[in-house]
Amino acid sequence: MPSSANDRPPLKRVVKPRGRLTGLLLYVVLTGMAVCLLSGHARAQVVEAAVDCAIQSGSCTKNLGGGTVTLDISPRPVRAMHDLTFTVTFSGIEPAHDPVIDLAMPGMIMGPNRVVLKRAGETTYQGTGVIVRCPSGRRTWKATVTLPDTGSAEFIFDVVY
Amino acid sequence: MVGFGHCVGMCGPIAVSLSLSLRAGKVLLPHLLYHAGRITTYALLGAVVGLTGSFTAVTGRIVGIQRGVMIFAGVLIILMGLAMIGWIPLGRIFTDSFRPFGFLSRAFQRLNAACSRGAYYPAGVVLGLLPCGPVYTALVAAARAGMESGEPLQGMFTGSWLMMAFGLGTVPALLLVGRLASLGWLTRREVIYRLSSILMIALGVYFIVKAVRF
Repeated sequence: MPSSANDRPPLKRVVKPRGRLTGLLLYVVLTGMAVCLLSGHARAQVVEAAVDCAIQSGSCTKNLGGGTVTLDISPRPVRAMHDLTFTVTFSGIEPAHDPVIDLAMPGMIMGPNRVVLKRAGETTYQGTGVIVRCPSGRRTWKATVTLPDTGSAEFIFDVVY
Repeated sequence: MVGFGHCVGMCGPIAVSLSLSLRAGKVLLPHLLYHAGRITTYALLGAVVGLTGSFTAVTGRIVGIQRGVMIFAGVLIILMGLAMIGWIPLGRIFTDSFRPFGFLSRAFQRLNAACSRGAYYPAGVVLGLLPCGPVYTALVAAARAGMESGEPLQGMFTGSWLMMAFGLGTVPALLLVGRLASLGWLTRREVIYRLSSILMIALGVYFIVKAVRF
């Protein structure tokens, strides 16, 4: 049995420096992967969402099924971290179920944030919700209006902090 | 999923900083205490929004505190980074040979001797107030659940349980990051500590800048 470092087989003295280098490289790679791939901020920079709804100026309309859906948010300006009223109006569609709105930040997982809508007119639905604030400073949000059995329409807009 | 996607990016630097500051020591217990502190704060916030049924009424009152916590977190990470490479004698403050302010240094010495690892729990309680999108989203859900429960007391418990479950869900991802950063599996760590110290200082500055802009 070897009794000191000098008595150890040569193979162990050769392996040690390679083990350190391997460990260092592995650390750098894993850390880089963790920061770049798992970071929601990094992915947000990769997935750029174009704003297609000037919600601060007025309502927005999109095609849905064989008709259209109009989204309005009040009060204006539309601010994050404030109670907001979401109004959805359908045209050319006879809703058989209550629609819902899912709020999300494009390219960043923020968790489910659903606004439940109730009928407020023949083809109008309303509900209250909150657009939360992201410490990253990004202000672009997406509201997906889903009418069961018909489809979904996405509205991408900027909020005010 | 939210934990792996968002929390690693936002709170991962704190978990890494905690691990690096512990050097080659055992990291599991301090991390668990830190996360227990975070979850305590989440549960308390969930109880309050569940009781009131309002997310905005509660968060509107703590935004100033949250900005302060972000600055505190940034300063803490910078100090930890500077202390790790010996640029500030933070360790000497807690030894018998350094008594600049008498009562203050004796208090620090007792705290350090008695519960140096237990301090991670109150650190987690404070840092649980860091502003965070997914936390806000979970609080919105807790407030809604509280409102729908009908009874304020039931709403309080519902909100608290909801936020505790959310907090528990964020633990695996951050524990994994903290464990990877502990470097216990590396045979030579000093070079990494120096590089990590610089990274920690940069991250601390980043936190402070974000707090100012928040």
